[in-house]
Amino acid sequence: MNDLKGKQFFITGATGGIGMVVVEECLKRGAVVFATGRNESVLNAQILSHPDFTFIPADLTNADDLSSLIKLLPPLDGVLFGAGIIDPCPIKFIKQKHIDAIFSINFDSICLLTSLLAQNKLLKDKSSLVFLSSVSSEFPYKGGALYAASKAALEAYAKGIALEFASKGIRANSIRAALVETAMFEKTKNALTTEEIAEVISAYPLGIGAPLDIANAVLFLWSDLSSWMTGSVLNLDGGLLLNSKK
Amino acid sequence: MEIIDFIKVIEEEFEDLTPGTLSPDSVFRDMDGWSSMHALIFVALIDTTYDVLLTGEELKSCLTINDLFDITNLKMSSGGINA
Repeated sequence: MNDLKGKQFFITGATGGIGMVVVEECLKRGAVVFATGRNESVLNAQILSHPDFTFIPADLTNADDLSSLIKLLPPLDGVLFGAGIIDPCPIKFIKQKHIDAIFSINFDSICLLTSLLAQNKLLKDKSSLVFLSSVSSEFPYKGGALYAASKAALEAYAKGIALEFASKGIRANSIRAALVETAMFEKTKNALTTEEIAEVISAYPLGIGAPLDIANAVLFLWSDLSSWMTGSVLNLDGGLLLNSKK
Repeated sequence: MEIIDFIKVIEEEFEDLTPGTLSPDSVFRDMDGWSSMHALIFVALIDTTYDVLLTGEELKSCLTINDLFDITNLKMSSGGINA
């Protein structure tokens, strides 16, 4: 996947566990990276000072921030829509604030950002858009109905993009990731007992994933190696769904 | 807030619980069929009823109903409501 050299990518959620590794892998391959995220301070000095890296602070749920962000981006060869939150809530307790919180970042902001990228002609012909989804979009878990719904919506939206933008050779694919060892997972682990953690991990025939597992798939979808893939949903789950009763 | 009211809220939420079975010293993870879903329900119930958002870490630090009551009360009185 050395064909990423000199190409320009934009990554949202770049300060999350997966986004950060995607940034690192892109820079290693000579790509030019523009990124945004919630917590710039977690990025290491080596990344921040890299000549091919530009961090643009922005709240993607804020229309003004989105407008400002767009003005700082060059024409892009690829985008990773990696920003998102989980925020579990049992169904009977769901209120509008919960729906707004999850959908505003996991879905609405992505739709609006994509529109702005297209309006401003920032998606090059043959560029590749990658949407970070979750296995829960098809195999939801208790308490995660809103999160799963937001990811299912995202996958459907990505397929719409694939169809509308195909005439320009622009591709759109989703990665349906299962549990990956990130800071978010560490936080989740803090709320679970040792037995509960062991039970979760034991459901993965290949063990839980590493951020690099997802980053490799992103790079593949951005590269010419996947030039005939669009509208696809790629399961990356360490075999989790092999045990699914569905 | 009195602990008796707190227990009543919990017993009303968990329909499988026979009213009067919980006491301040009850270990809530010993409830029949306890799962991580129950933990989510506790967090959501306390959020909805008392406008207090417990973190996963705070929930994990609690063992008994009384521990939950104390931390909920503490966060209500300290103004750390949904902060």
